[in-house]
Amino acid sequence: MSFWPTLAGMVAVTFGSRYAGLVRRAALPPFWVRFLHFVPIAVFASLVTPSVAGARGEAGIRVAACLVAALAAWRTRQLWVSIAVGMAVFWLLRIPF
Amino acid sequence: MPHAESTGAFRRGFWALAPLWLGVVPFGLAYAITARSAGLSLLETQALSALVFAGSAQFSAVGLFAVGTGGAEIVLTTFLLNVRHLLYGVSLGRRFSLTRRERPVAAFFLTDEAFGIAAASGERSFPFLLGAELSLFMMWNLATLAGFLLGSAIPDPASLGVDLVFPLAFIALLVPLLRTRAELAVALASGALAYVLSRSLPGGLPVLITGVGGSALGAILTRGGAPDRAAHPEDAAREVG
Repeated sequence: MSFWPTLAGMVAVTFGSRYAGLVRRAALPPFWVRFLHFVPIAVFASLVTPSVAGARGEAGIRVAACLVAALAAWRTRQLWVSIAVGMAVFWLLRIPF
Repeated sequence: MPHAESTGAFRRGFWALAPLWLGVVPFGLAYAITARSAGLSLLETQALSALVFAGSAQFSAVGLFAVGTGGAEIVLTTFLLNVRHLLYGVSLGRRFSLTRRERPVAAFFLTDEAFGIAAASGERSFPFLLGAELSLFMMWNLATLAGFLLGSAIPDPASLGVDLVFPLAFIALLVPLLRTRAELAVALASGALAYVLSRSLPGGLPVLITGVGGSALGAILTRGGAPDRAAHPEDAAREVG
């Protein structure tokens, strides 16, 4: 894994996006404005589902923790509450009864 | 501009963003803990925060590093996640009259939060924008450092299941964005597609394919109808990184 070249690439595309907008005066075509609106939604969702199950055979309780966290995110809209609730549910369900 | 006036504008910008620190600190902590358990060093973790300075892109990158994704896929995912800054730049470029020298500085530190604050305020000066931007930059980097040190204090993070923080953080970022049927449909379709693709494709490819496909689906679903909220400041301020 080559960390530093990857970092350089990340800096280039991130700064490029930020700078290109500031020097551009014309608005983007409507399709691309709508496309960009959906990018975080599509990417965030695609990062969630493959990583929920985990590699340690705890898929069931991890799914349960994520569902409760989603409920907490919906109700509170607070990132830290959702993470805390999710981890708490996960640790509670791990206790062998 | 007189010195005292620009100092005042810088301070106003800096403090205007302060209420958003509350959202940034836990995100920074979670990012750094995840980066550490993905095998990144403190220097690498901090370099991402100081040089890329884009929370969700950094977070997804360390998640992809952890599963051995190639650099090109990580850079492309970063591009996909950060290209929305184009919209903020276009909007800010019209409100703020920035000089040739100020533009690269304003661009380097531009985030969702700073855009939201700058666009919602009536201010028009570079010092105000820079104050808001650096306010977030400072807090994000402090939270990164604190998170990494906190992670070092945990003896065996893997056995505690800290890798669950990754999906939890993205669930928490995703859910508040879902307000319309089209947004919900895109999230469900993207989640399902990425899950299926991840069974057969390595690393970051499922995220890239789904990111482009899901966004195109959303753009098509909202054709002609839904009002554009993509560049609305109050929305941007709510999104993190």
